[in-house]
Amino acid sequence: MEYDDLYAALLHEMKNNLALLTMSLDNIPACGDEHHDRQLAAARMLGQKTADRLTQTLLIYKSTKGDIVLSAVDAHSPEDFVHELAQQTRSFNRKLEVTAQVEADVPAIWFFDRNMLEMALLNAIHNSVNYARQRVEIRAGLRDGMLAISIRDDSGGYPAHIMAAVTEGKPLQSQGTGLGLRFARLIAEAHRNDGRAGELRLYNEDGAVFEIRVP
Amino acid sequence: MSASKPQTVDYKNKTALIVDDFPNMRSAFRMALAAFGLTKVDMAANAAEAIQRVKNTAYDIIICDYNLGDSRDGQQILEEMRHLGLIGLETAFLMVTAESVYERVVAAAELAPDDYLIKPFNADVMRSRLDGILAKKEAFADIYLHFDHGEMEAALAGCDALMQNAPKYRIDAMRFKGEILIAMGRPDEARELYDEVIRMRAVPWARLGLAKAQHMRKKEAEAETILVELVEQYPGLVPAYDLLADVQIAQEKYQEAQATLQRGVETSAKSILRQRRLGEVSYRNGDLDAAKTAFDAAIQKGKYSVFHNPNDFANLARVHIDQGQTGEALKVLQDHRKLLQESDEGKLVASVMAGLIHTRSGNKAEAERHMKEALRLRESGTVSKPELLLDLAEGCLKAGLAEDASALIGEVARNAHDNQQLLDKAKAIYHEAGRPDEAHSVITQATEQVVNLSKEGALLSQRGDMVNATKALFRAAREAPRNPRVLMNAAWAAMRLVEQDPGESQYLAQVRMLLDDVALLAPDHPRLGGLQTMLRSVESALGIKSTASQRLKG
Repeated sequence: MEYDDLYAALLHEMKNNLALLTMSLDNIPACGDEHHDRQLAAARMLGQKTADRLTQTLLIYKSTKGDIVLSAVDAHSPEDFVHELAQQTRSFNRKLEVTAQVEADVPAIWFFDRNMLEMALLNAIHNSVNYARQRVEIRAGLRDGMLAISIRDDSGGYPAHIMAAVTEGKPLQSQGTGLGLRFARLIAEAHRNDGRAGELRLYNEDGAVFEIRVP
Repeated sequence: MSASKPQTVDYKNKTALIVDDFPNMRSAFRMALAAFGLTKVDMAANAAEAIQRVKNTAYDIIICDYNLGDSRDGQQILEEMRHLGLIGLETAFLMVTAESVYERVVAAAELAPDDYLIKPFNADVMRSRLDGILAKKEAFADIYLHFDHGEMEAALAGCDALMQNAPKYRIDAMRFKGEILIAMGRPDEARELYDEVIRMRAVPWARLGLAKAQHMRKKEAEAETILVELVEQYPGLVPAYDLLADVQIAQEKYQEAQATLQRGVETSAKSILRQRRLGEVSYRNGDLDAAKTAFDAAIQKGKYSVFHNPNDFANLARVHIDQGQTGEALKVLQDHRKLLQESDEGKLVASVMAGLIHTRSGNKAEAERHMKEALRLRESGTVSKPELLLDLAEGCLKAGLAEDASALIGEVARNAHDNQQLLDKAKAIYHEAGRPDEAHSVITQATEQVVNLSKEGALLSQRGDMVNATKALFRAAREAPRNPRVLMNAAWAAMRLVEQDPGESQYLAQVRMLLDDVALLAPDHPRLGGLQTMLRSVESALGIKSTASQRLKG
């Protein structure tokens, strides 16, 4: 076994254990004591975030060994999808006001790899839960003939250098936010249809907007 | 903009089975389900336990981890449960995988679970996925019911209605409709349907469906092009290799078929059926080393599968014998002695192969003893593959039991008038024994009547005389009770007759028996599904509750 594969196997095991730990935390009920509940929520959030990060790291590692082929692209309901994401967002922070919005022109079904897209959007959700003041919105819309799923918050917005890095397609740093963005871009671009590839967009519009478009 | 929340499902009265090899994972699942009111939960740690559970209890929901350590994996569990009819279409099956194998697991699925969930996940996601599956099952409830009752037209109409009125389920309805059309043997409509899906998006399952339809329409070149592109683009798409091999065999491209199955086995070594087919094609191509490896693998995989078959041991032993390694062949029989002694078919395999080994190594007395034992087993009604009967015939001929040999070869030939490979092998046995003249007389005599009756039946049914066509084809079926094509022709003619004249419905009981025989002889024959469906339609049109079995792949 190569060292890289050994590390991958180790990461894999850590990720699984962390996931179990988080699921156990999920089952400790809130007790109404502000201090206790806040700490519990924070622990759960951190556990999940770390597990998700490990999963992404593994997938990025896998992508360095060959292209990511999305064999699970199939028809899914964008409406169900944004509701599922909103539900997840709520579970991270029960105090935020989380809404799911589907713009009127979004078709009942769209073709995408739901599990992979969800993983790519999770970073943005973690971010928004951290930085939002009160509100997070998960929105599905049509942009330029592509399905655009966006995570929107009422935070101070993205710093200019991050948006610039994504817009200019620069290599993103391989840790923290950079890693999540790299992963999101990888998954967005692996969605192909009719000669077009998906896109990752970051912009500010009354807060930070993280948007993945899939053709 | 709409912000309505999808309606939620009440889980209080639902039952669930959790399959995972880690105890703490099982309890995490259990707690997650309890969080939304689902408390009627059973657990299984491996495939055997899971299958035992579903035999005793009908679950609404099965949540199954793909990777179960040394046990069969989640996909194999799903396939066995469906294959054995232990779970119906209304059961929700949620497959849980690690991200590292997710794409591979999806691509390898011949039979798709209702949804996939990537670990780790939180309880909310699991719930929303289950909500989605159960809502879909509800939308399809009537269609599934019609399907289960054999009311295929109603099931198809139900799909059409969903496609029209429930945009969210349009693609799901098209997918199910395609599967029904393929199962009913209506490839022209299936082809149109899959083309329509592909115009929206060339998803792998639709391209696979289109290739299947083209194969059934005997448009092998078209099917081959689609499949070659498909495996190029999605090298993990295992079902495509199996179909591509079918298509290549139909064009008599046996070398290509072997290479295709070899790639399929390299991509996913788990399927015993694929290993067995690889062995058969390699053997046919004279590639004995490849045949040996594949048959050996089939035996290893078969140890824990419902698909195991004593004939796998005969296949492997035969390769060893052909390579002159009689010691190795004997070892195959000895190593698996216990398994072989479990069934009459296994005992027959053991006797014939042992007899053949002794024949080849010149041990006349021993050979004769085993051959006589084999003949005794045959007399008590033990069935076997034609290849094994030819082995037995060879042994008998060399042991001086010429009459028994002729009877056996006659039986094989009668049941295989349309199988040149078997007939050639039968001839070779006589030639090798220095009796070429007998080959001609025995084989011609044996096949003559089936050939004539089949021709007569075909001609009569072309003229529309279904009464006499049915009579001729039923006589052919009695002559060749182990030839799936002959049996299917008889079944088809009788059903056409009953359709025209319900007064002839006495034939239906026999049709059912014919098709049940075919299901045993050639479960994967492309015509079988269509005929089973036809029987169910004919029966339901007459108000008979169907007992015919139907297997839906997809």
